[in-house]
Amino acid sequence: MSKLSFRARALDAAKPLPIYRNGDIPDLNDCVSINRAVPQMPTGMEKEEESEHHLQRAICAQQVFREKRDSMVIPVPEVEGSITYYDRLYKGDFRQTKQLIHIQPFGLDNEQPDYDMDSEDEMLLNRLNRKMELKPLQFEVMVDRLEKASGNQLVTLQEAKLLLNEDDYLLKSVYDYWVRKRKNCRGPSLTPQVKQEKRDGSTNNDAYVAFRRRTEKMQTRKNRKNDEASYEKMLKLRREFSRTVTILEMIKKREKSKRELLHLTLEVVEKRYQMGDFSGEVLKEVSAPLAEKAVFPAPVCLPNGNRHKMESKIKTHKQQPSHPTRHLSAHSEPRFDFTRPHRKYGRRPRLDAAPRPPGRPPQRPHAIADGDIKQYDFHSSGEEDSPLSPSSEPDEENDPDGAFIFRRRDGCHYLAPLGEQRWCSPPGLAWLADPGQRNSLTALSVPRRWVGVSHRRLGRGGRIVLDRTSSDLDRALRLLDPDVFCPSTASVTHHHMHTDTHVNAATHTPPAARTNPQCSLAQLLSNIQACRVRYFRPRPLHENGKEGSKKDALQHDDRKGRGTFAVANNSRTSLSGLILGSICLSSTWKTPVARLLTVDGETVTMVSTDSVSKTLDSASAHFAASAVVSAPNQESKPHRAGINGILPCQGKLHTSTPSSTSSVRPSGGPPRPAPGVPQSLPHGLGPLSSVSAVSPAHAHHSARPCAPSPPALKLASVASSPDHVPRVAPGTAISSLARDKHEPERLALNGMAETTVAMEVT
Amino acid sequence: LTSVVELVEGCRLPVLRKNQENEDEWPLAEILSVKEVPGKKLYYVHYIDFNKRLDEWVTPDRLDMKKLQFPKKEAKTPTKNGLPGSRPSSPDRDVVRDHTGSLLPTTFCAYLSTAQCPRSTNLHPTLTLKIVRCQMNGTTRRLVPSQPGRKRKNCGTDEDSQDSLDGIPSAPRMTGSLVSDRSHDDIVTRMKNIDCIELGRHRLKPWYFSPYPQELTTLPILYLCEFCLKYLKSLKCLQRHLTKCNLRHPPGNEIYRKGTISFFEIDGRKNKTYSQNLCLLAKCFLDHKTLYYDTDPFLFYVMTEYDSKGFHIVGYFSKEKESTEDYNVACILTLPPYQRRGYGKLLIEFSYELSKVEGKTGTPEKPLSDLGLLSYRSYWSQTILEILMDLKSDNGERPQITINEISEITSVKKEDVISTLQYLNLINYYKGQYILTLSEDIVDGHERAMQKRHLRIDPKCLHFTPKDWSKRGKW
Repeated sequence: MSKLSFRARALDAAKPLPIYRNGDIPDLNDCVSINRAVPQMPTGMEKEEESEHHLQRAICAQQVFREKRDSMVIPVPEVEGSITYYDRLYKGDFRQTKQLIHIQPFGLDNEQPDYDMDSEDEMLLNRLNRKMELKPLQFEVMVDRLEKASGNQLVTLQEAKLLLNEDDYLLKSVYDYWVRKRKNCRGPSLTPQVKQEKRDGSTNNDAYVAFRRRTEKMQTRKNRKNDEASYEKMLKLRREFSRTVTILEMIKKREKSKRELLHLTLEVVEKRYQMGDFSGEVLKEVSAPLAEKAVFPAPVCLPNGNRHKMESKIKTHKQQPSHPTRHLSAHSEPRFDFTRPHRKYGRRPRLDAAPRPPGRPPQRPHAIADGDIKQYDFHSSGEEDSPLSPSSEPDEENDPDGAFIFRRRDGCHYLAPLGEQRWCSPPGLAWLADPGQRNSLTALSVPRRWVGVSHRRLGRGGRIVLDRTSSDLDRALRLLDPDVFCPSTASVTHHHMHTDTHVNAATHTPPAARTNPQCSLAQLLSNIQACRVRYFRPRPLHENGKEGSKKDALQHDDRKGRGTFAVANNSRTSLSGLILGSICLSSTWKTPVARLLTVDGETVTMVSTDSVSKTLDSASAHFAASAVVSAPNQESKPHRAGINGILPCQGKLHTSTPSSTSSVRPSGGPPRPAPGVPQSLPHGLGPLSSVSAVSPAHAHHSARPCAPSPPALKLASVASSPDHVPRVAPGTAISSLARDKHEPERLALNGMAETTVAMEVT
Repeated sequence: LTSVVELVEGCRLPVLRKNQENEDEWPLAEILSVKEVPGKKLYYVHYIDFNKRLDEWVTPDRLDMKKLQFPKKEAKTPTKNGLPGSRPSSPDRDVVRDHTGSLLPTTFCAYLSTAQCPRSTNLHPTLTLKIVRCQMNGTTRRLVPSQPGRKRKNCGTDEDSQDSLDGIPSAPRMTGSLVSDRSHDDIVTRMKNIDCIELGRHRLKPWYFSPYPQELTTLPILYLCEFCLKYLKSLKCLQRHLTKCNLRHPPGNEIYRKGTISFFEIDGRKNKTYSQNLCLLAKCFLDHKTLYYDTDPFLFYVMTEYDSKGFHIVGYFSKEKESTEDYNVACILTLPPYQRRGYGKLLIEFSYELSKVEGKTGTPEKPLSDLGLLSYRSYWSQTILEILMDLKSDNGERPQITINEISEITSVKKEDVISTLQYLNLINYYKGQYILTLSEDIVDGHERAMQKRHLRIDPKCLHFTPKDWSKRGKW
C-alpha cells in the first residue's frame, strides 16, 4: 500500500486531534496498521511480570469484552468472613461529628503504656490479686517501664525500684515475673517492635529492618542552609532553659531550707535559753551519747557507685514513719553536731582568746560551709540526666562501640583540665594567692602532732594533696608544742608561712620565697603570725570499720561533702605528697573543693595583701575587728548573722584558713586574742575530744546542712562557672527526703554511700 | 516413593491448585523452601507465570513427583566438595534419586542458587535476571529459607550496579521513592511471612512479605487494632489495647467527606507510629515497594468508610511531599476485603483530584503491579473517554482536542494519556494527520462501565490546601 510508504509524523501533544465517531470514516480500516507508527508506551510494570498468566488473561478479556468478567479477574488470596466477636470487641458508640475531623498530631499520645497484657499476665494478676489489688493498667505501666528502661541487659531489681514506686512485695513479684517472661521471650522486647537499624551498617540488608533514617542530608536549598545551625541553637536554647528551671528549683528548695533552718535554730536557742544552758553543757550532754551511734544515713553517696544501694536505704528509712520527723527536728541537732564537728573554718578562736562570756550562746563562727557550696556543684556534668534514665542504655546495641561506648555516669563530675594559672592576683603576690604554690606551716594531728612545712596542691581528680617539705625550720618546729595547734586547747591559730624550703621538685617555688633567705625562729614566729597554719585532723574511724586498718593513710571526708583534704603523713623523708584521697573519694567530691578554693583564693589575696604587704591601716583593722566583735552581739539570733552581710565575708575567709582576725592582727605583734571573739565550748568528748568550738548556731547549721547559708550560696554562684550548673544540693535532698518521695533518683545522685570516709578539718 | 525423594529448593514440578472455577489445575511450580512440621514436610512453591501472591505452603500430596525436574547445574559452577558435578544440563525428568543415590545431587543442589535452574524455554524471567546477576558477582548462594539476619545478596539494578558489582552492600537511594530495588528480592522477602492478619471484622491472608517484628511471624494470626493499626500477638492483647486506644479514625485531618466515605491526610513525619503501622499492613499486599526508609517524606491519604464503630480503613495511597518525577502516588492499595468494588478507582480519582488542586499533572510511581496497571488503565480509559464523548462540535466542525488539553483537564500525565489512547486503539493516522476514532464497541463498553461506576469523588467535598513543601524547612 502506498499509504504505508511514508513515515508517520511524530505524535504532537500540542496538536489538535479531530475526533471521529465510528462510521464517520468509511475507509478507517486502511489506517489500522499505521497505528503501529506510534511508539508503544511502556506499561510501567516489571517486565517479568507483564507476562503473568492471569494478567494477560485479564487484559485480553478487557480488550475483548470491554468490561470485566468475574472469571477473568486476577485471583488473590482469600479474605475470611466476618469475625463473630467483632461487635463485642469494638464498641459501637461512635458518632460522626458534623465538621470534618481535625486533629492535633502531637496531642495523640495520652501516656498509655505500650505494653498490652496477655493471658499469661492475667493469670499472674489473678494470683496477685488474692493478696493485693493490682489493676491491669497498673501492671501494664509497670511492665512498660521495665521494658523501656531495658536495653540489652534487663534493669536490675534496684533500678526497678527506682522506676516503679511500688510496694516491695508487689514490685518483687512483678519484677521476677517480668524477668522470667523476658527471658523466655523470643523477641528482643515484650512489646514487639519493628527492628531498628544499627549505626554500623550491619543491618543494611536485613529484611526485617525497616524505616531507616535517611541520613543523607535533606536537599539543602538556599532557605534550608541554616537548618543545622538553627537546630543546634535550638538545642542549646533548650538546654539553657532546662538549666534555668533546675536553678530555679534549687533556689526554691534552698529558700525553703533556709527558712527551716532559721526556725530550728531559733527553737534550739530558745530551748537552751529556757533551760539556762548558757555554757552549752546540756547541748554537750545531749550530743555526746549520740556521737557514738552510727552516723545518720546522710543520703550523700558516691555518685559513681552505690547509688542504688543507697536508694534502697533511703527507702527503708522512708518506711519508718517516725524516723524522718525525728531527724528533722530534735534529734538532728546533736547528731549533726557530731558528725560534723569540724565545721569550723578559718574563724577559729585564737589560742589565747578570752573565754566566751557566759550567758551568751557561742558565736556562730562561720556562715559558709563548703559542703553547701559543693552541693550546688554536684551535678554540673549530668545536666542531661533524666530522672528515669537507667544505667543500661537501650540503644547500646546500635552503637558500634558496643559495650565500650562512652557513657556519662550519673552524678559523676568530669573535670576540665587544670590550667597553670588559675587565679588572678596582683603581680608579686601570686604566691600568696595561690595556695597551691606556697609552702605553709602545717600542723597535723595524725601523724601524731606533726608540725612542719608543707605545700598543698590540687591533685588528680581534684584531690587535695599535701606535699610535706623538709626545711631548716624543721628542728625549730619540732620544738614547738604541737598542742599549740591542737584544737583541744580550744583554739587554733592559723598561720601561713612561706619559707624557702626544699621545694618539692614539682613545686613551683614562689618568688617571694626565693628572696627570703633562711629564716630564724624569730622570723618563723613572725611568719606564723602573719600567716596561718593549716591543721588537718583525721576523724576517728570507728564509724567506718573498713577504714580502721589504714592508719597511715587516712583520708577523711566530710560527710556532707565539705572540704576534702588528703593528709600526707607517710614517711618523713618523702618530699612528694602521697595522695591519700585515693581511698575512696570520687572525683565528684573533690571538684567543688577546688572550685571553692578558687573563690577563696581571691578573697585570701585581698586580705593577705592587707596584712602582709602593707601595714594594716587602723581603719580597716578597726572595721575588721568590729566585724568580729559585732558577731557575738548577734549570737542570740545567729541565723540573722548568717543572713546579713557580715558573716558571709568571714566565712569566705576562713574556708581557706585565714581568719579575719588574723588579718586584723597587727603584723609582728604576738598573737593575742581578738577581743570579743567567743570561744566555743570545748565540749568535744570521747573520740572527738579535740573538737573545738561548736557553737549552737554552728550546731544548727550542721543539723540542717540543707540550708546553705547565704554566703555559701554566693560562693556557689560565683563558683559555678557558666558551663557548670549546680544541680541539687545533697543537703537539700536530705531535707526533701522525707517529703519528696518522687525524687529518689536525685537523692541517689546526691546521696553519700556509707563507705565514704569521714574527714575532719579542724 | 515420595518420602524417599530428595526435594530441594529449586526443583520444579507440577503442583495441584484450584482455579477460580474451583477446578483442579496442575501448573508448574518451583520449590522455594522446605520446612518440617511435626509429622510432615511442607514445601513453599511459586507457580511459574503466576503472581507471587499465590505462592503457598503445600503438602507433599499436592506435588506431582513424576514430573519433577531437578535444578540444573551450571557447567562452570564448582561444587563444594570438588566433585566434577558434570551432570548433563539437558532437562530430563528422571532425576529422582532415593537416599542412597542422592549424595551427588543433594550436595550440589544445596549450593546452587536459583540461578542454576534448567534453561528451559519457560524459564522464569526473574530467574534469568538472577543468572546474569549472579554470574556478574561471580558467586553462588544457597537459598536458605527464613534465616534471620541473613545478609542479603546485593545484586544491583541497572542504575546502581556500580555498587553491587563489587559485592559491597548498597542501600537504596534515599530520595523519596518507596520503590523496591528488585535486587533485594532475596529468599526472605520473596516468601510471605505472616499467615493471617485480623483487622476489624476481617481476616486477611497476606500476599507478600512484610517486616513485622520477626517474633510475630510465627503466630497463626496477627491481630491489628482496626483504627491505630497497632500489631498485637493475641486477642487478649488486642482487648487490652482497645481499652486504652480511643482512636476511631485515622489520626489525621479529614480532608474529604461525602456520605460515608472520608479521606484523612496523615503526615509521615508527624505521625510516625501510624504511618509505619499502615506501611507494614500495606506491605503485605504490595510487592514492589520497600519499607527500607522512614516515612518522613510521605503523606498518607487514608480512605475510610464510616459506621457506628468508627471510620474503617478501606484503602490508602501515599504520596511524596515533593516529587521530582511528577509522581502523585507512591503506593496505593485497596484492602482485600474492599477490592473489586470500585474503591480502587475512587482512590485513584482522589489522587488526581489532589493533583488538580495543586495544578499539576501526576502519575503513579513505577513499577505498577498487575492490579495497579489494570486499575489505572481502567481509570484513565474512563476518564479520557468521558472527555472525548462529551466534546461537542461547535459550528458544525468536527470536535477536536489536544493531548495536552486532556492532560490538563484530567491531571493525568501526558505519557499516560498517550499510552491509554494507544491501548484503546483510539489513535489513528488518517490522511496525513493523527485522529482519534471512537468505535462503537468502545462507546458501548464505556457506557456500560460508567453505569457501574457509582462511587465518584465530588470535588466540592474536598477541603484541601496544598502545602508547598519546598518552602518548609523539612518534610
